[in-house]
Amino acid sequence: MENKEPLSPHIQIYRWHISSLVSISHRITGIINIIAITIICFWASLLLLGANNYEVINIFLVSFFGKFIILALTWSFLFQVLSETRHLIMDLGYGFELQTTRVTGLMVIFGSIVLTIIFYLLGKNFI
Amino acid sequence: MAQISLPENSKIRKGKYFKDKTGSKNLRKVNIYRWDPSTGDNPRLDTYEVDMDNCPSKILDVLNKIKNEIDPTIAYRRSCAHGVCGSCAMNMGGKNGLACTKPHSEIEGDIDVYPLPHLKVKKDLIGDLDGLYKQYKSIEPWLKSNSKSKKTEIFQSKEDRKKLDGAYECIMCACCSTSCPSYWWNGDKYLGPAVLLQAYRWIVDSRDEERQARLKKVADELKLYRCHTILNCTSACPKGLNPAKAIAEIKKMLATTSL
Repeated sequence: MENKEPLSPHIQIYRWHISSLVSISHRITGIINIIAITIICFWASLLLLGANNYEVINIFLVSFFGKFIILALTWSFLFQVLSETRHLIMDLGYGFELQTTRVTGLMVIFGSIVLTIIFYLLGKNFI
Repeated sequence: MAQISLPENSKIRKGKYFKDKTGSKNLRKVNIYRWDPSTGDNPRLDTYEVDMDNCPSKILDVLNKIKNEIDPTIAYRRSCAHGVCGSCAMNMGGKNGLACTKPHSEIEGDIDVYPLPHLKVKKDLIGDLDGLYKQYKSIEPWLKSNSKSKKTEIFQSKEDRKKLDGAYECIMCACCSTSCPSYWWNGDKYLGPAVLLQAYRWIVDSRDEERQARLKKVADELKLYRCHTILNCTSACPKGLNPAKAIAEIKKMLATTSL
């Protein structure tokens, strides 16, 4: 046979649904969170070296971009917390019915967004 | 490591276009994955215009119609046509299922038909399931009893029999395993939902005496714990079974019993 048997298409054609979206987002936010925590730790230790470093960090944090990053990280952490809770419940053997997985998946997605908004408003002293 | 893109020889090219010859007003485009082992060409996607006025309701009917009336060269597996044998498992409209039980009315737009995902293709819609069958054999899917009293029946209470519901109905069509991204990336080591559901079926069978050994066998980082509850398996199962839950139950048993 001249041609080796081809591999049938997989991720290119398979339709996404809520559980697979939540699952992949769980992984992505997990990686982002680890990187973010590492950077935050570095920043915290930089504070020991003096006021200059504090200034630099502060300038970044009050900038528009800095605020955006903080908000994005807030979402990413909240998503992780909710999604992990969903996984813990599943590890106990509950919530495997198709309809339930859809509902809990949507709760994770929208819950994380709603909580992010609440955190933002709390930070702004609006509530 | 997972390879997201398709290898060079598997990239899908544009294929032939079969225009409708019946003059029907009610046409649907059906895109079908084609690969001919006798040529050195890459796979291609052929498009057929099908007259839906004279076509029964299932995807398998569409395929039969194309094979009988438009293009007899197309190859696919089918046998019972009633969702019992599991031969006609394929990917339709981006989701795995049995062509004989999947109504084409459930798919919007063009009907895309591919072989089961991430398999070596033998021809057209026929994927190579040898790897999956070997894994199935590895879990020793038969009753193991060392009892000496072979003259009497092995009694099973109604409650114990009930534990097999949702596991014994599996027809091994491979819709679930080939829908699982973990199985795509680690199919050589991870057993996948279909085989793990069967492993579960023998683990919970009250008549089987090798429960501990069976549990020990699947208690493996790669064989079992590659399941990350993505749940593509449960949503793909054409028999409405729940492999993801069975896998979770095995994990639970391993966490609560000392081997």
